[in-house]
Amino acid sequence: MAAADSCDGISTSGGGWEKTVTLVSSDDARFEVREAAASLSQTVRRMIRAGGDGGIPLPKVDARTLSTVLEYCNKHAAVPAPAPESSSAEAAAVDLEWFDKELMHVDLATLCSLIRAADYLEVAGLLDLTCKTVADMIKSKTAEEIRQMFGIQNDFTPEEEEQLSRENAGVFE
Amino acid sequence: MDISSRAERMNLSCLCNLLFRALANIFASSTCSLMKTLLQLDEFLHPSPVVAPTAGSELPWLPQDILMDIFALLETPGLVRAGSVCASWRAAYTSLCATEHCKLQRTPCLLYTSESMGERAMGLYSLAEKKAYTLTLPDPPIRTREVIGSSYGWIITADERSELQLVNPITGDQIALPSVTTIEQVEPIFDDAGTLCNYEYLWYTGEEWLYDKPSILDLSELRDMLFDKAFLSSDPSTGDYFVVLIHDPECQLSFARAGDNEWTWLPPHTCYEDCQFQGGLLYATTALGEIHAFDLCAPAVTMKIVLERVKWSASDRVYIVQAPSGELLQITRSNGKDYDSILELSTPPPNKTNRIKVHKVDLTSEKLVVEVGTLGENVLFIGRNQSLCLCAKEYPQLKPNHAYFTDDYFLDVTNKEIVSPQLWSNSPTPVWLVPNLRRMSLASHN
Repeated sequence: MAAADSCDGISTSGGGWEKTVTLVSSDDARFEVREAAASLSQTVRRMIRAGGDGGIPLPKVDARTLSTVLEYCNKHAAVPAPAPESSSAEAAAVDLEWFDKELMHVDLATLCSLIRAADYLEVAGLLDLTCKTVADMIKSKTAEEIRQMFGIQNDFTPEEEEQLSRENAGVFE
Repeated sequence: MDISSRAERMNLSCLCNLLFRALANIFASSTCSLMKTLLQLDEFLHPSPVVAPTAGSELPWLPQDILMDIFALLETPGLVRAGSVCASWRAAYTSLCATEHCKLQRTPCLLYTSESMGERAMGLYSLAEKKAYTLTLPDPPIRTREVIGSSYGWIITADERSELQLVNPITGDQIALPSVTTIEQVEPIFDDAGTLCNYEYLWYTGEEWLYDKPSILDLSELRDMLFDKAFLSSDPSTGDYFVVLIHDPECQLSFARAGDNEWTWLPPHTCYEDCQFQGGLLYATTALGEIHAFDLCAPAVTMKIVLERVKWSASDRVYIVQAPSGELLQITRSNGKDYDSILELSTPPPNKTNRIKVHKVDLTSEKLVVEVGTLGENVLFIGRNQSLCLCAKEYPQLKPNHAYFTDDYFLDVTNKEIVSPQLWSNSPTPVWLVPNLRRMSLASHN
């Protein structure tokens, strides 16, 4: 079927007509999104090309996570590409940076869901942002503090523990 | 940015969020059966979808490949800590460290010894974390050795018998280099019992005998007479590498490839100050700014003069480094006094640094050297280490257009804000080290 089958349209504030697509989360929530924004996801872009009826199913992303991913895509796709070095380009960059920072104010479980979604949906910018956020959260923590954050059990065998201490691992605690 | 505009943006952001959640709710209540068919089809096509090990609970979890992406953003100390969390994080850490040429965030650290740490330990000061760690190194005790180079996370040391080793201070891996007695100007002297007791040091270069009579040196004395600086072509844990030595008399070159039993001499030129590997070639700069390119891989080593003598002040220390853009830079470091005569070569190199100049080398056509007034976004690391030029944008803790250096002789780590003075010992020499967690494979160990 033609790709247009999963594409609708909405009128923009400027009076123009913009193509939209419908994305469907794992829990059957439907999101109508501008195609330009949805296409920041390489996975979605491929599915739009492949075509199909009744929306694009994204069975690995729940509605809550998908809404945040789309918030990111909408914001980032909305930014026009002004001439570099111009003051408007600088302002847009500052605005985006601020937006990204705000978006990352979530709990760790949500952040990890976002990372998995960004990975599955192949939204490179969001994957970089979320990975960087987790890296910043753990970079100064001890192994024990990280275990507590993630609710991870120390499952090393005594032999592995001994190997770790032989390899100077404790030096950086 | 003023407060009101922040607040406005925040409201906008919240509004967007609300709109999306509202949309999601509206659509959730009107799911069509076709949609369900599509979902089932997708499940059929992907029979084993990624399922959270703690499905249903809110525990945060990440798959292995993403853990590796995150770990790659950590500096060495943080990376080692993350690798000690649990078995699955350990597996991600191990895979990452084993990856050849993987790009890791590794801000250089200062590696030094101090009396208080004992004979076998070295301090590692992380510029990124502004924190010091203590590493224990394999025998012989590091305080009894000299450090003559630092490349790819490995240091090159000379022990009390003047024999050379490669050591990775982080992993503790160690490789013995070919015996010092295979260097052209060195002969072993044995006593009646057949025990090595002295070295004979011959004062010649490829062009002349400086003294006819060789010197007889104690085993530990030789290293001070012989070694200037050492370099690596690549990470020794990969199993294939060249080690290049600048050694006396007159700062000549010798090299050895992984697995060689002896050093190969590269006569007849002298007065080398620094080396850099680029594009498979060894670039060596002399004290007067000449640059020679050697192809060590050729069946018979070839040498080409790529830059003729530049009239540097003869007392300057000269470094050669590859900028992140790929350009070759020649750096001069001096105490600010000008010595223009070649005769001044015998003047000791500067023991205090007052001036660092950067010159761009154009190897393509004119063989031009142009002084550039600034490093721009770049950062220099010079001293006994393999000279490094990094882009500060990728290393936010480093200051752009700054040179981080250690002096070579009357040692003085000049950036006093780093560590309060004299916490470290001047012997062995403190060096910059780019930490390398990659362990040697058993194959390369042989």
